[in-house]
Amino acid sequence: MHGWGVAQRIQQLSKDVLQIGQGSLYPALYRLEYKGWIRSEWQTTENNRRAKYYRLTQTGKKQLATELATWDRLSLAIASVLGRATEASS
Amino acid sequence: MISELLTRLRFLIFRKRRRELDEEIEFHLKQAITTRIAAGMDPAEARRQALIEFGGIEPTREQCERQRPGWWIGTVMQDVHHAFRGFGRNPLFTISVLITLALGIGATTAVFSVVDRILFRPLPYAEPSRIVSLGFVHPLERQEFMMGRFYVEWQKDQTPFSALAAQGTGVHNCDLVESDPMQLSCISFQASFLPLFGISPALGRNFLPEEDRPNGPPVVMISYGLWKVHYNGDPHILDRMIDVDGNPVRVVGVLPKDFQFPTLEAADIVSPFALDPAVQQTVNGGFGGAMRLFARLKPGVSVAQAHAQMQPLFNGDLKWFPPSAKSETRLSIRTLRDRETQDARPVAWVLFGFVLAVLLIACANVAGLMMARGAGRQRELAVRSAIGASRGRLIRQALTESLVLSFAGGLAGLAIAKALVMVFVRLAPTGIPFISKADLDLRIGVFAALVSCLCGVIFGVATALQKPQLAALNAKTSMSRNHAFLRRSLVTTQIAISIILLSGAALLLRSFTKIEEQNLGMQTGGVLTVKVAVPRLRYNTNQKVMDFYLRLESSLRRLPGTRAVGMTDSIPPGGWQDGFRLSDLHVQGEPPIPPGTGGTVVGRSVTPDYFRGLNIPIMRGRNFADQDRTGDEREVILSRLLAERLFPGEDPIGKRFLPGAHVSGAGAIVVGVADNVKNSGLTEQSDPEMYTLRRSVSGDWGGNHLMVIVDSAMPVAAIEPWVRSEVSSIDHTIPVEMEPLNESLNRLADRPRFETTLLGFFALTGLVLAIVGLYGLIAFMTTQRAHEIGVRMALGATRANILRLIAKDGLRMVLMGSAVGLGIALATSHMLKTLLFQVSVYDPLTYILVPLLLSLVALVAILIPARAGTRVEPAITLRAE
Repeated sequence: MHGWGVAQRIQQLSKDVLQIGQGSLYPALYRLEYKGWIRSEWQTTENNRRAKYYRLTQTGKKQLATELATWDRLSLAIASVLGRATEASS
Repeated sequence: MISELLTRLRFLIFRKRRRELDEEIEFHLKQAITTRIAAGMDPAEARRQALIEFGGIEPTREQCERQRPGWWIGTVMQDVHHAFRGFGRNPLFTISVLITLALGIGATTAVFSVVDRILFRPLPYAEPSRIVSLGFVHPLERQEFMMGRFYVEWQKDQTPFSALAAQGTGVHNCDLVESDPMQLSCISFQASFLPLFGISPALGRNFLPEEDRPNGPPVVMISYGLWKVHYNGDPHILDRMIDVDGNPVRVVGVLPKDFQFPTLEAADIVSPFALDPAVQQTVNGGFGGAMRLFARLKPGVSVAQAHAQMQPLFNGDLKWFPPSAKSETRLSIRTLRDRETQDARPVAWVLFGFVLAVLLIACANVAGLMMARGAGRQRELAVRSAIGASRGRLIRQALTESLVLSFAGGLAGLAIAKALVMVFVRLAPTGIPFISKADLDLRIGVFAALVSCLCGVIFGVATALQKPQLAALNAKTSMSRNHAFLRRSLVTTQIAISIILLSGAALLLRSFTKIEEQNLGMQTGGVLTVKVAVPRLRYNTNQKVMDFYLRLESSLRRLPGTRAVGMTDSIPPGGWQDGFRLSDLHVQGEPPIPPGTGGTVVGRSVTPDYFRGLNIPIMRGRNFADQDRTGDEREVILSRLLAERLFPGEDPIGKRFLPGAHVSGAGAIVVGVADNVKNSGLTEQSDPEMYTLRRSVSGDWGGNHLMVIVDSAMPVAAIEPWVRSEVSSIDHTIPVEMEPLNESLNRLADRPRFETTLLGFFALTGLVLAIVGLYGLIAFMTTQRAHEIGVRMALGATRANILRLIAKDGLRMVLMGSAVGLGIALATSHMLKTLLFQVSVYDPLTYILVPLLLSLVALVAILIPARAGTRVEPAITLRAE
């Protein structure tokens, strides 16, 4: 997926709640790439434009799993502190 | 983990091209615009909205760039580049810092490298701090010595030491008789000696206990130098038989290369000490043989405790001493370091103090300069911060600059240090222990560099640390007040320290000129001293020795231009000379002098020409005459000092001494009184002196010390080859040593000269540094006040007014610093006392001249930048607003 797509997707999935400054998306992508968690290559889009596509690498997937686990634990913890364990889990 | 590292490495090497990112962002924007147009937006508006949504393009680019591993390396290079540009713009500042660092680091490192060996470096033995030198001391012998009788008892009854070992009292000449004979230095020590010092031979083995016994198998150990040079490092040297003084001995070991005797003597051949306990109570008047004694303290025993524990044994020994010696003999135990470095220590400590002082000045200087620069750059920093440089970036920039400067200064400093050490070693007189081994000590160099660079870095970064104030942007004079105060204090401190250093050096200089100028009481120009090493092997009786010297005397007298050829056992004012106690003399018809009173007397055994050769005037009576040499009467000549002490208000001529410890035979008659000659070194109070006629009787020609003095009308250099050929015409195998008396005297003054040079050099370094600091500060303050000066001038102040204004400021610092420095110098100068000769530690001339000199130099350092400050065109500075 290219940068633009990522930005759009985040906006869509979060139902417009998360509107990241699109400019700060790229430094993040670069950092991930330098860490070796994603890989990039130039491809042509459906309407024949050249764009840079990003893809998760093997280490990236592993990292994602760890981060997700951490996030789950954290959000669960926060939710239970706020007394909303039931709603959060439902 | 590894793959991550590899990825990082890959990106470090293959940087992403900038174009790639641009293309990516462009694609993003196009997409955003297209989406908006598709939603029915006006193209221009769509572009605007998309750009707003995206945020800044340039920051994004920078942010992306910053993600790259190792991107900071680039910024460091940038900082370094920037720093160099800054230095180029501000050469005065740069040069001041560089000079300060280079001189400060260079001088301190060099001197510390020299002093370190004397004060701090462990001696080359195992656990050297536990090795002591012990024995008796006496006014005639201030180095610990021991007598065999007592040593035997001490060995049995002592408690504080784990080991004791004796060494011969000193090296003596010996002959190595091989195809061509050569003269060497020999010494002896016990088998327990090397183990006590924790030394094992480089080759072979130590003496065995059965070899260290009277009449044991004849064995020797040889020095590394002798092995390498004379025997070409022959690996089969062990068990070889060599001939020393006509006795075949077997080589059993080679001493290590860096081995040094605790007495700092150099010996080529060591034989076993072979102490015979059985005879110690009978030989040498019941005292036993003399020796030097060393011991290793048991763990946990201090020198003071050992002293207390040995005191009863010593008290027991005292009862064997004659009453005269009892009161004067003491027990002495001191660490080996104390013995080896003796009188080098005061100098070394003073030098060390000077080192610290100069280092302090250097640090203060660098700090002051850095702060001044920092204050001057507040505007620049504020501008940079305003256009987006982060605090961290500014600090890093400041740090980079300080480090680059420090590094350059440090390198220059080390180069200077290396050169200085070589100069010091070249200059150093032979008497200072270990100095020939001094080499640039890198640890010290790094230490000095670190300290002074740290000062620079701390103060350089300090200004960048505070948040740049917006006010700095419009304010013209941004120098904050408290910094100004700190900087002034730094300069004042520097001036104070320079005063201390300069007055110390000035005192030494005055003392040195006094030493050089003093009247020795004899002529030294045009006199040649000749030492002939007569081999004892062939000249084994006093008669043979005397015959040789008498032949030499008459042949030297025949040389053209010769005015006098004298023979003596010693020459004042330094070196070995015979001595005895005043109470050893007994004047006929008078009560004996109470033992232990009157101090020591120098004794010299001379021929009549001694007085003519050295031009020592005979004040009363007459000189020895040539016919006295063959007579039966023993004549003596007294020095004026001795005559006044023994015969106050009387005519000493014709008085007789009864036979005694120093006067042998049938007593001696006083025939004359000679003027006083300096005879206890250059700096000590002279002792009374008694000249005994060296008659042409074999009994007068014993002893190891004999030299010939030749006073000639010809240049000394011209007669040297003649003397050499005269000696070899009598016996061609005898080596001759010759030296003009002037030169050997000059050598005596080497030590004070060296000290004075070193300290003077230091004081000057300190002065230069302080002046650089003062100059830098005034120059800086003047540029800071350019605006103020401009206003003042516009309002009608004359140049003279301005000059006074600036100079007053600087002079106040100089006066304050001088006052403080003088106070401290006066309070601490007593530490120099042992180094001074005939100069009071409160020498008024020094304490008047030094502040004057400093003030003069400081005035110049103030006036130059101050004058530059007054050249300000008011119109220009005011317009710069």
